[in-house]
Amino acid sequence: MLERVKIENLSKGNILAFGEFYKNELNNSSLEILSPLKEVAQALNKKLILLFLIGSLEDIKNLEEIKRSIADEVWFVINNELKDFKDDLYTEVLIQIVKSSQPYGLFFPATKIGMSLTPRVAGALKVGLCAHVNYLEVKDNQIVMSRPTYGENIIAKLVSKSSPVMATISLGAFNIKYGEKEPLMKEIIFPENFSWSSKLKIRNFIPSKKKPTKLSTAKVVVSGGRGLKNKETFQKLFELAEILGAEVGATRPVCYEGWVEEEKMIGVSGVTVKPKVYIGFGISGALQHTVGMENSEFIIAVNTDKEAPLVKMANLALIGDAKKILELLLKKLKN
Amino acid sequence: MEKIIVCIKGVPEPGSVKVDPKTHTLKRESMELILNPNDRSALEMAVRLKNEYNMEIVAISMGPPNVIPLLKHAYALGIDQMVLLSDRAFAGSDTLATSYVLAEAIKKLSPFSLILMGLKSIDGETAQVPSETASLLGIPSLTNVKSLFMEDNKWIAIREIKYGEEEVEVEGPLVCSVLPTAFDYIRPPSLKRLLEVKNKEPMVWQASDLNLDSQRLGLNGSPTQVVEVIEKKIETKGVILEGEPEELVEKLIEVLKEKRLIKN
Ligand SMILES: Cc1cc2nc3c(=O)[nH]c(=O)nc-3n(C[C@H](O)[C@H](O)[C@H](O)COP(=O)(O)OP(=O)(O)OC[C@H]3O[C@@H](n4cnc5c(N)ncnc54)[C@H](O)[C@@H]3O)c2cc1C
Ligand SMILES: Cc1cc2nc3c(=O)[nH]c(=O)nc-3n(C[C@H](O)[C@H](O)[C@H](O)COP(=O)(O)OP(=O)(O)OC[C@H]3O[C@@H](n4cnc5c(N)ncnc54)[C@H](O)[C@@H]3O)c2cc1C
Repeated sequence: MLERVKIENLSKGNILAFGEFYKNELNNSSLEILSPLKEVAQALNKKLILLFLIGSLEDIKNLEEIKRSIADEVWFVINNELKDFKDDLYTEVLIQIVKSSQPYGLFFPATKIGMSLTPRVAGALKVGLCAHVNYLEVKDNQIVMSRPTYGENIIAKLVSKSSPVMATISLGAFNIKYGEKEPLMKEIIFPENFSWSSKLKIRNFIPSKKKPTKLSTAKVVVSGGRGLKNKETFQKLFELAEILGAEVGATRPVCYEGWVEEEKMIGVSGVTVKPKVYIGFGISGALQHTVGMENSEFIIAVNTDKEAPLVKMANLALIGDAKKILELLLKKLKN
Repeated sequence: MEKIIVCIKGVPEPGSVKVDPKTHTLKRESMELILNPNDRSALEMAVRLKNEYNMEIVAISMGPPNVIPLLKHAYALGIDQMVLLSDRAFAGSDTLATSYVLAEAIKKLSPFSLILMGLKSIDGETAQVPSETASLLGIPSLTNVKSLFMEDNKWIAIREIKYGEEEVEVEGPLVCSVLPTAFDYIRPPSLKRLLEVKNKEPMVWQASDLNLDSQRLGLNGSPTQVVEVIEKKIETKGVILEGEPEELVEKLIEVLKEKRLIKN
């Protein structure tokens, strides 16, 4: 069912998106990144290709999902050695594809695997790499990538002078879109003498015991920042979450302080949330945080500072002490 | 003795960031620098391996001369040699240019068995430098490593990935970025070594000491370029209420009921 294409006959000048499989399971962020890339590809009049490195086609559980993607084509490299993620071998395979198909752009989801792999590829190709991009646009026939950066509310726009343009794209920054037309599916045939060897041997795998956080899909989020002053007060958010059927989120400094695990971090370095209601206690609303929650339907901020950015962006802001308000709220709700 | 190289970065104290309005890069010379907090676990891992396998540790840092106190701090934690990579030509480097300088300095320190780095810096926060440096050196790399030991002259690493933990066997040398939460206990600096390092200075290598290609350095040698920095203006969008906590909570409860999060 797959059209077999020799690597030297691949079409050139496309936009390639890396699709992540792990233990035959598709990582959804691979489909998310197609949404902005499709627009970029259309603006530049290029084809969008979703590229997978896999052990065997039979094992893949989400083939239907892939057939519904908005990619123009899906390319597979299939070899038993690709069953496990091996940084060095994956890099070698991608380099061969880049060399023969000379893509215009090469993009990866900013997953742990993506973040391990992409810099190796960029290093080997000696090209620039933009990290954690959350907005892409085409200006003067050039891809311009945005990422939040130092300071409160500053966005940096970057371009890459080298080719292909490479970037990792933030998780949860885009919604998955589905296409009407099934993409063409191809298998890339590597030369006989290509070495599938790696210096890494995956000896053992222990699945994560931690439950995946439900934060990113939560309908209600109660979130806390430094304005809650200490871990004890922060922990009270869990009581509120229990009552409201919410998930608890946090800003980066309080995760680093150890008030709560890093999985709860909302923002560029953490999770993106889109709840119906977001309540932030003692959160200033730095851009690095707000990019992760700005699409919430209704935002409530509790802060002593009327000028805090989150207060300004909130639908409802309460000016007052976060601890007092939280405790009083809990008292009333429990009665 | 086998050698471990640890790369450490000086980062601005959070809140003290100054951005050069012209180049959009950080002005590191004029800032108070602290050790990148994530590099603490890389140093701790290095010291533990040194004690276990009788190895030698070299710490290197690329940055302005005000990272010297951070190298001395690393000495007090247990590293043996300090190398500062400092040259005006390095200023404004992106991760590719940074990794190029680090890789060339590491080559000069050959042979080595292991390179440890932090998972990511808290300023640039790209997490790209470890794998990119490994790639330029042509050696394997692993990220998010939480433990590391030797077996039959091979490195065995436990790395975290989204789905769980993998035990990976690697033929060294290799680069690992260390998980910030890898250790429950991180040792404080030793008083004896703090005194000892007072009379020591790091080796300083400039571009010319490393025979670097000037086309690949600094702002001009960096393929990623910041073209624009924009400030996001926020306009007040909703209702801002001031008053006694009692009143505010009343209003909050009203809204929560409206949103059907609590029953009437
Ligand atoms: C607005 C803006 C946006 C930027 N965006 C990008 C971008 O998208 N892509 C890009 O390539 N560059 C970018 N940069 C440049 C990047 O921040 C610098 O290249 C930086 O020197 C290295 O990257 P990092 O701090 O992200 O390191 P990371 O890769 O996050 O650091 C990981 C580890 O590498 C080691 N390490 C890193 N730097 C050094 C050092 N100087 N000396 C010793 N060890 C070190 C440390 O162990 C550290 O813990 C940007 C800069 C600015 C100003
Ligand atoms: C590269 C990089 C990446 C980052 N990534 C993230 C990220 O993913 N997520 C993230 O959240 N941050 C991130 N940050 C940090 C971000 O820039 C901010 O520093 C952080 O979001 C601020 O957290 P905060 O609101 O808890 O603290 P602060 O900014 O200190 O704000 C505390 C707020 O509480 C208010 N307050 C004080 N006392 C009270 C009181 N008694 N009652 C009520 N309110 C009170 C204050 O007025 C203030 O508005 C990143 C930073 C960098 C440089």
